[in-house]
Amino acid sequence: MCRAHATVRGLLYEMLAQTDGERWTVVDLEAGVEVMSRGTPKAVDALLIVVEPYYRALELGRRLAELGQELGIPRVWWIANKLRAPEEERLIRTYADAHRLTLIATLPFDEAVSHAEREGRALIQIAPDAPFLSAMAGCADRLLTGTA
Amino acid sequence: MMASPQCPFVEASTPLREGLFPMKIAICGKGGVGKTTVAGALVWLLYERGIPVLAIDADSNPNLAISLGIPPEEVARLPTLPSDLLERRVEPDGRDRWVLTRPLSEILATYGVPIREGLTLLLMGRVGHAGAG
Repeated sequence: MCRAHATVRGLLYEMLAQTDGERWTVVDLEAGVEVMSRGTPKAVDALLIVVEPYYRALELGRRLAELGQELGIPRVWWIANKLRAPEEERLIRTYADAHRLTLIATLPFDEAVSHAEREGRALIQIAPDAPFLSAMAGCADRLLTGTA
Repeated sequence: MMASPQCPFVEASTPLREGLFPMKIAICGKGGVGKTTVAGALVWLLYERGIPVLAIDADSNPNLAISLGIPPEEVARLPTLPSDLLERRVEPDGRDRWVLTRPLSEILATYGVPIREGLTLLLMGRVGHAGAG
């Protein structure tokens, strides 16, 4: 394994273990499954796993959930992203139910997200009313009110 | 099992359910699923609700800064965490463990990028990457 990545993981682990009660902490982890294998995110209260409605993303999402539960993370939740049709949402719900995974947000495919990425800008700046953000606002409120 | 911080949270403008403490949330997923977009949106939405947030970009392909409104051409100039913040110490029982060489508050004050009052970004992605190719 890359030594630089090992340093990042060790440092992140120690920092997460030390974060105090003054603020919320949101960590954007490395993509993929390897980040879990070293137990790096063990000190978090919640693991949000972003999935898309296609088989390999769902399988990896399921594996990430298993690893998160093995690490003892108290809340392991799925977020379904880039949904283009009701049957895609049904597919994900069926898959989540079959594997006893909790889905806390379903986010639409949103052209404004692609536009922000192309422009290298923040979505909130160029499209504050984007449907993606309205759906994420529901997710943020559920996290804040503890009703996830 | 690591205990969560148990300090009551009083600064939020949004009423919180009693007993809900500030959370540490990690976001993961397959490459390309929109992980960073979700992380950036969550950080902003919490901030907009009056919640102090620390955003940590631990992706080796760091884009969270852009999701938080930093122009791409400025991202390369943002402070990076040096690898000497972590040190291996040998415990009395002979086991060794990694420890932070400076308190977290000092790390945040030195290397944190203040995006807004109450919204700080920390970039991990390039830790120790100097010369790593």
